[in-house]
Amino acid sequence: MAIAAPGQLNVTESPSWGSRSVDCFEKLEQIGEGTYGQVYMAKEIKTGEIVALKKIRMDNEREGFPITAIREIKILKKLHHENVIKLKEIVTSPGPEKDEQGRPDGNKYKGGIYMVFEYMDHDLTGLADRPGMRFTVPQIKCYMKQLLTGLHYCHVNQVLHRDIKGSNLLIDNEGNLKLADFGLARSFSNDHNANLTNRVITLWYRPPELLLGTTKYGPAVDMWSVGCIFAELLHGKPIFPGKDEPEQLNKIFELCGAPDEVIWPGVSKIPWYNQFKPTRPMKRRLREVFRHFDRHALELLERMLALDPAQRITAKDALDAEYFWTDPLPCDPKSLPKYESSHEFQTKKKRQQQRQNEEMAKRQKMQHPQQHTRLPPIQQSGQHAQMRSGPNQQVHGSQQVHAGGPGHHYGKPRGPSGGPGKYPPGGNPGGGYNHPNRGGQGGAGGYGSGPYPPPGRGAPYGSSGMPGGSGGFGVGAPNYTQQGPYGGSAAGRGSNMMGGNRNQQYGWQQ
Amino acid sequence: MADFLTSTHRAKWVFTPQHLVEKYRAANQRARQVLEKCGATLMEIDADGSLSYPEPQIAKANVEKHSRTKPLSIDEEQCIRVFFENKIQEVCKSFHFPHKIQATALIYFKRFFLQWSVMEHQPKNIMLTCIYAACKIEENHVSAEELGKGIQQDHHMILNNEMIIYQSLEFDLIVYAPYRSVEGFINDMQWQEFCNADDDFLQMLKTLQDTARLEVDKMMLTDAPLLFPPGQLALTALHNSNALHKVIDFDSYLSSIFSRQNPVHRESEFIESLNAINSLVRKYKFPERKEQSHINRKLESCWGLSSHDESKKREKKSKHKSKKNSSEAQNAPS
Repeated sequence: MAIAAPGQLNVTESPSWGSRSVDCFEKLEQIGEGTYGQVYMAKEIKTGEIVALKKIRMDNEREGFPITAIREIKILKKLHHENVIKLKEIVTSPGPEKDEQGRPDGNKYKGGIYMVFEYMDHDLTGLADRPGMRFTVPQIKCYMKQLLTGLHYCHVNQVLHRDIKGSNLLIDNEGNLKLADFGLARSFSNDHNANLTNRVITLWYRPPELLLGTTKYGPAVDMWSVGCIFAELLHGKPIFPGKDEPEQLNKIFELCGAPDEVIWPGVSKIPWYNQFKPTRPMKRRLREVFRHFDRHALELLERMLALDPAQRITAKDALDAEYFWTDPLPCDPKSLPKYESSHEFQTKKKRQQQRQNEEMAKRQKMQHPQQHTRLPPIQQSGQHAQMRSGPNQQVHGSQQVHAGGPGHHYGKPRGPSGGPGKYPPGGNPGGGYNHPNRGGQGGAGGYGSGPYPPPGRGAPYGSSGMPGGSGGFGVGAPNYTQQGPYGGSAAGRGSNMMGGNRNQQYGWQQ
Repeated sequence: MADFLTSTHRAKWVFTPQHLVEKYRAANQRARQVLEKCGATLMEIDADGSLSYPEPQIAKANVEKHSRTKPLSIDEEQCIRVFFENKIQEVCKSFHFPHKIQATALIYFKRFFLQWSVMEHQPKNIMLTCIYAACKIEENHVSAEELGKGIQQDHHMILNNEMIIYQSLEFDLIVYAPYRSVEGFINDMQWQEFCNADDDFLQMLKTLQDTARLEVDKMMLTDAPLLFPPGQLALTALHNSNALHKVIDFDSYLSSIFSRQNPVHRESEFIESLNAINSLVRKYKFPERKEQSHINRKLESCWGLSSHDESKKREKKSKHKSKKNSSEAQNAPS
């Protein structure tokens, strides 16, 4: 068998059917590691338009094309909204592909599939972590309003995002915010009858009902995450940086009080309630802890962080909250300052330099004491997958089809081994300040993150999968300026375990 | 809102009759060219969706040997598709899949063979992969292995064809089948009659719906799903069903629908569609056994795989319907 000569049969070249070739794009830089594959910044050759290419990894798939990718494609083709990332098209690469070092990538699938997205300059976390960045109140309101508008649209269309977090909220230089990375999203029906997996949403943003093991849930899960982000924007750092599920729940209970049948009817019937219910009474301290927030913000936050999902505010109602209708009003996105585009960094950055990233970063880190306010604590590093073995593990049981795990083959030897970062099970709260060298990991590690995290900063948020991912949050700052954004090393690292884990976690389980 | 109005289904996959004819002709034409050049038409597929035609050199000998190999005509291709579309319904029934899976698989199959000729891709493999894909997309997961076992087929074949199918579908994976529209209209009728809806009426609506679903089943085997939006198919099915059961005053129901709609759709236009849909269903015919086996033989020699004795045996078997529904699939041309 042979490939027909180009043009010969009108099949190989610009087919009248199917998808265009990835050769229509020139890859500029790898900018991230998505839910199931690498993300590149690229230029469409014909138009010069800058886009993001997200590769869908196909190996290790016992069930063919990853279900997560199918869901993302399905959902994104259905959603058309200014606050939801736009999937422009899907392109394929016909021939064998090479990895960054030019080795064949050892994939049984010779070609590759890419999702083409509009390019966005930043993500919310990245932006927040830029050195010297202070969001204004109208700016926070503006972002929150867009986030809620986009999410409301998803929920009306019966889509749960299931991975709302800062690194999945992309922001362009027009001030527009868009929800991205629908790799964990799925559609739901209002009757809540289907059993869904509770292994979704990055730990720090995961609502108590999922942590307690419920498998019947709805849009309220996303609203909890929104509450976490909202508080984080106001507070300057993540509010529930748990390192594993039990600790996560504990952090939530410490702030929001421990649930009982009175404040959350039905909670005692949730699978792991008895296992996790606190031994001592815990009062809700939210208002006290965040008493410095303005009244309307606090009111809204209270309702977003309601323990009982049934009492949690919906996106629609949140948009009607006083907060958005009192002075100072949300600003017009266009009025927001434009932040330096990271594009320039990318092109300047040479691969070789990236090799030195880690070392450089470490050194720089030492020389530049943290001036960043968003530094979260970092704790011990290195524990990832093991932590996953919670009670939840069984839930996956059945058919763990490996839904596109990213990473592995890419795995580059250099760079710290996917320093666990902001992201929980890998998460290492604790050392941010104390162990400056962690920073090294972070700088590049950020790219382990979400959909296509903004270039040019030490991206704070770890991978979109929870474990592994990046070196800490917060390290972004110092690395940002000096370290060449595209920490090439970023790409592969971290993703290693993130990939693996993700596989196990989000297989076919819905 | 994300619904049919903003869907890729509406934007890209509802064709005019002329357009449809052109697409069938183009696919047929391409396969003919390949046959001429290579002596055989069956494409080699890779799991990543890359394709290749038979190599002319190897095929040269065949060209001599099979110099009489004739391509299928467009009508003959149609026969083959019809055969397998029936199979899809059978296989899905034997697996007790929800109705929507069957409908999705059917629509995938139809769309696939708008891009390709049955001479290029074995419809049996495509059929099974469409069913597999439909299960995946409709969140009713069945593992490839399980599906393969159920019909005694190697599941690697399914996985191997998956990518080419998505590509040929242009990754437009959400399809709108008329069954849900039927349900919607029934709910609407119930609502309209809400005040005077008694149990009898509800029972009659149920009958109306059941028959309408059978009507849709018939339409799904024709080109109608590629020519009309699901709502029109559903309404036609209900019209036909109502003609039988006389549950409601259909004309006034139609008027009420169209008066509620913005003037995008006019009743007269719908009547035109209704007639066209019904005529497609009337014209539909399942190929005669003899005709079918003749075409199968032709098809197999186009593929370059033919073994006449074997295929004859298969054809005989494949005529036995009854319980063997699913296993029967393999008796068809392979």
